[in-house]
Amino acid sequence: MDGLAGYILRRLLFLPVTLLVVSFATFYITRWGPGDPVRVYSGQYNDPEAFARVRHKYGLDKPIIEQYGIYVKDLLLHGDFGESFKYRDRSIPGIIGPKIWVSVRLGLYAFILTFLIGIPAGIFAAVKQGSWLDPLIIGVFLFFQSIPVLVMVPVMVIIFAARLQWLPAGGFHGLFSTTMIIPTIALSLGGIAGVARLARATTLGTLGEDFVRTARAKGLPELTVISRHIARNSVVPVMTTVIGLSLVGLLEGALFTETLLGIPGIGAFVFDSVKGRDYNVILAIVLIVTTAFVLANLVVDLALIVIDPRVRSQRPGA
Amino acid sequence: MSATATTATPGPSTAPPHGESLTRRSLRRLLRKRLAVICIVAIGVFFFVGIFANFVAPESYSHQNLDLSFNGPSLHHPFGTDILGRDVFSRNVYAARTTVIVTAATVLSGFVLLPVTLGMLAGYRRGFADALIMRAGEILASLPGLPMLVLINVTLRPRWDRWMQHIANGIHWDGFINEGFADYFLIFGVLSLFGWVGGARIIRSQVLTLRNSEFITAARASGAGTPRILYQHILPNIMPLIIVSASAALGGIATAEIGLTFLGVGVQPPHPSFGSLISDGASRIVLQHHPEVLLVPAVIVAALIFSFNLLGDALNDVFTSRAA
Amino acid sequence: MSNKLTLAIAGIAAVLIIILAVVLIVVVGGSGGKSTASAPQGGTPAAAAKPTVGPAASGELRLRGTDPLVLDPALAQDAGSAVYIAEIFSGLVRLDKDLKIQPDLAQSWDVSPDHLTYTFHLNPKATFQDGRPVTTADVKYSWERALNPNTGSVTAENFLGDIVGARDVARGNATEISGLKIIDDLTLSVTIDAPKPYFLYKLMYPTAFIVSQAQIKANPKRWTQQPIGTGPYKLAKWSLGNQLVLTAYDNYYLGAPTLKTITYDLSGGSALVAYQQGDIDVTGVALDDLGTVQDPTNPLHKEFVQAPSQSIDYIGFNTNTPPFDDPKVRQALAMTVDRKKIDQVVLKNSVAVANGILPPGVPGYTPADKTYPYDPQKAKQLLAQSKYANKMPSITLAESGAGASVDNATQAIVQNWKDALGIDVKIQQAEDATFFSDLDAGRYQMFEIGWIMDYPDPEDVLDILFYSTSKQNSTLYNNPQVDAKLLAARTEQDPQKRLAIYQDVEKQIVQDAPWIPLFFGQTNALVKPYVKNYTFPPLIIERFRDVQVNR
Repeated sequence: MDGLAGYILRRLLFLPVTLLVVSFATFYITRWGPGDPVRVYSGQYNDPEAFARVRHKYGLDKPIIEQYGIYVKDLLLHGDFGESFKYRDRSIPGIIGPKIWVSVRLGLYAFILTFLIGIPAGIFAAVKQGSWLDPLIIGVFLFFQSIPVLVMVPVMVIIFAARLQWLPAGGFHGLFSTTMIIPTIALSLGGIAGVARLARATTLGTLGEDFVRTARAKGLPELTVISRHIARNSVVPVMTTVIGLSLVGLLEGALFTETLLGIPGIGAFVFDSVKGRDYNVILAIVLIVTTAFVLANLVVDLALIVIDPRVRSQRPGA
Repeated sequence: MSATATTATPGPSTAPPHGESLTRRSLRRLLRKRLAVICIVAIGVFFFVGIFANFVAPESYSHQNLDLSFNGPSLHHPFGTDILGRDVFSRNVYAARTTVIVTAATVLSGFVLLPVTLGMLAGYRRGFADALIMRAGEILASLPGLPMLVLINVTLRPRWDRWMQHIANGIHWDGFINEGFADYFLIFGVLSLFGWVGGARIIRSQVLTLRNSEFITAARASGAGTPRILYQHILPNIMPLIIVSASAALGGIATAEIGLTFLGVGVQPPHPSFGSLISDGASRIVLQHHPEVLLVPAVIVAALIFSFNLLGDALNDVFTSRAA
Repeated sequence: MSNKLTLAIAGIAAVLIIILAVVLIVVVGGSGGKSTASAPQGGTPAAAAKPTVGPAASGELRLRGTDPLVLDPALAQDAGSAVYIAEIFSGLVRLDKDLKIQPDLAQSWDVSPDHLTYTFHLNPKATFQDGRPVTTADVKYSWERALNPNTGSVTAENFLGDIVGARDVARGNATEISGLKIIDDLTLSVTIDAPKPYFLYKLMYPTAFIVSQAQIKANPKRWTQQPIGTGPYKLAKWSLGNQLVLTAYDNYYLGAPTLKTITYDLSGGSALVAYQQGDIDVTGVALDDLGTVQDPTNPLHKEFVQAPSQSIDYIGFNTNTPPFDDPKVRQALAMTVDRKKIDQVVLKNSVAVANGILPPGVPGYTPADKTYPYDPQKAKQLLAQSKYANKMPSITLAESGAGASVDNATQAIVQNWKDALGIDVKIQQAEDATFFSDLDAGRYQMFEIGWIMDYPDPEDVLDILFYSTSKQNSTLYNNPQVDAKLLAARTEQDPQKRLAIYQDVEKQIVQDAPWIPLFFGQTNALVKPYVKNYTFPPLIIERFRDVQVNR
């Protein structure tokens, strides 16, 4: 395990380097592009002299390198992300905090639903290997995985909100409101297939193991065998592997889901910020998300290192 | 998104020395899978339609007729017309062309050429090149893909358009811009930029294993130079990996292009893409009264990505599980 | 995988595709009328089940809104923020619902005979929402703060710059406005640089609203999270992306508001569905839903309201760039846009065809059509006579906005030109940041954009956008005759004569065609029958005080 500890340490030490490169690239790309926030948010007014004064006030007239130096200094010394050019009544953490929180709750729901459906479905498919139920289950989820969120969401809105009036047509009213249903389903459909197949593969491996055979030989009921032995040995590896990977997919799915349903989460917000050239907000989001990604990837890699030999060696041949 | 998509787990850890025949044998096994053949046929039809869009489509994708706004399906317009009276069928055919061009170009550049070159370089040369490529890959992989793609597309596009105009003037080909090729270049460029990392990693680790194997040592002893070893001995052995990882990425690439266009930073109108067709069809009025405008691209996209995914799986199956 | 398995998956996929298609067609495509007809029943019973509780006067109005970008009146320049600011803050004078100037914080004012000095008498009852009286020192502080470059206002110089010495403050050469004199706590004299009849209008813009010096001194950076204004409503709650609540300020100097609470739902989603389900009392109607609402057999039709708003969409030409330096080309293009048909088919009558430059409601507006009528024959002749008859350069129309599809109306216009004149116009779409930076740099040959009036005076569009050296003159239009007339109108004191000059100018500009005036904006909304006195003024002004909700 000594080598593993060193590996983790090396990866963590590389994080600041990643953040530095990423922040500089983002900083440069945003400020290099045509247009700037001062002009965008003044809409139909065009007063170059007034713009110049406002740019000077925010230091936007300095060379980009110098602006970047000031930004890094403020961030490291004062923990100051700068000011948003769009929402000027709040600090940047005050603006993106609630939005991240909305997306996180949404993602959590999607996660839970993904596993709640995916793992039992995968185990069931594995147990029913050889019957028509196995391909049916996997096929259905594979098909749903192939429908882009972009198509899924408007269709669900029209059917369940506009026509049947069962669900609200969008928005976000907290964790326990019906507004969560459509986005949760849309976000989880893509991941269920992956989880189910992984669970199926792991279960197929487990099925041949000694302890399962022993349990069966002991005459335990099939359901007990599945829930006690097979499930426990399949669920853990599947969970750890998929969580990190799904984080990436979730953020991207969230961009479309939130945009389409008008959910005030970080996915829709990041797109607005890019369009409005809200420099400091874009940068803050990119830094936060990058950190989350690096940590999540680390967890996945570790999970793979720990689980891999077993999972791989037990992978069914066909 | 394709860029950060999960690629298939690395397959063979110890490759047999005769890789060429493995590739061929695996492909033959693939053709024995009926599902895979169905997928290949479906994808083939799609590519055919896309490539020969000019001949397949009965109308131009931009021809309007306000008097025919939202005419339902008819003999002339098998899938009806949209709000501006444009033929929905023709627009989908041309959208297929966009998907074909972007998918093919991205797979070739971002999932074959770049990862193979960089992966082999890193794995065979080791040292500084290895460190540089792998660290750069690590940073790219830790970026939030889609937001970065949007950001790059937004800030780069005006400049890009101007450069492309210069090129178009230089080569005296108006179609270069008018047919949307400038957009295609930008999209497959950024997708490739973020796409190569996964493939390069897998290839590098495979090359690392191979470079110390007996047959490479033997080849080196017999005086073969580096390019020759890479091309004749290593490349055939990593072929299965390339095929598997590239095919696994197909669905992601197609989805990425559609998503970017949906957000308005991909293929620019009037050139149709499934992203803009879905965007057109997803508005409430269209969906409520003329669902076919959304239905057609939705079904095509779902079927295409389903085929891509199944084909990727099948390839993974035949290549990674050897005659066990 | 076995063959059986593969076949099964393929079969399932095929079945699923068919099911999806059938579900879509049956559920979605099925008789539209019937199902929408039943839609509002989800809302009405719920509303009926809740009979009026308590006194009818103290209702709660529930609206859909968006997050304000900034609640600091000095900084706000977007309509989204202005709707809240207009309720929380107030200025010296106001516009009533008929767009007439009325007293506000100033209960009266005198104008000197040379029309240069305004003496304002503040309302002695006026207080901030924390009970502190409003004095002339607050006015001076608010205006000087807005102009101060450290505040970072883009609009202050535009709206307060007519006051003598204000520009010096804006440029950082002074901290006090020399033309502003405090006579006593309630009397203030303001001197302007020229006898401009539209000066008072400019004081109705948020930049000139009064803010609390005490509060800003105490919390300079984040005071707008709980602003203390002088308007009829206090900001009671604002949680980003969730909810914004305004409650009545009962000591408001013009009388306690009848409507006690306004709740804005900021969380998004389809507003029409929320309205049908009875969650909100008023909603704007998006283009997509207009067809449904305009259908007279639909029960929603009775609640549908259309009102003009003072804005205009137009296509502007860069009059210095070929081929638009030849007025004949511009006129030919103007004659071949079939605006009426586009409004009907594509825009579902959500806007009104523009009959000139001045939108209805602006003084000087005339109902006569001043624009070129649709006439492809004449357009062809004009084009044949133009400099570019035989060598038309390539033309690109720039459009702001970044969507997957170009605005349908724009595409239809381009098709009009192709059909009538055989000219292929390319559309270039740019998101706002790029669009404005290229527009300012004069990189566009031709652009489609809108103008929203800030105050109801012809000067706000004709002078600002067409005076040859105006900063806002994106078309680079330069007509010395028009310039001379605009100059005269700036200081003409006889309102009738002044309007006559502007009408003259408008006609001339439309003839010269630096613009193709396309459409005047309209508000399309649904109002529940139990909401009384809800109005849609064409400009953003304070408007909720006397609304009654008898839900």
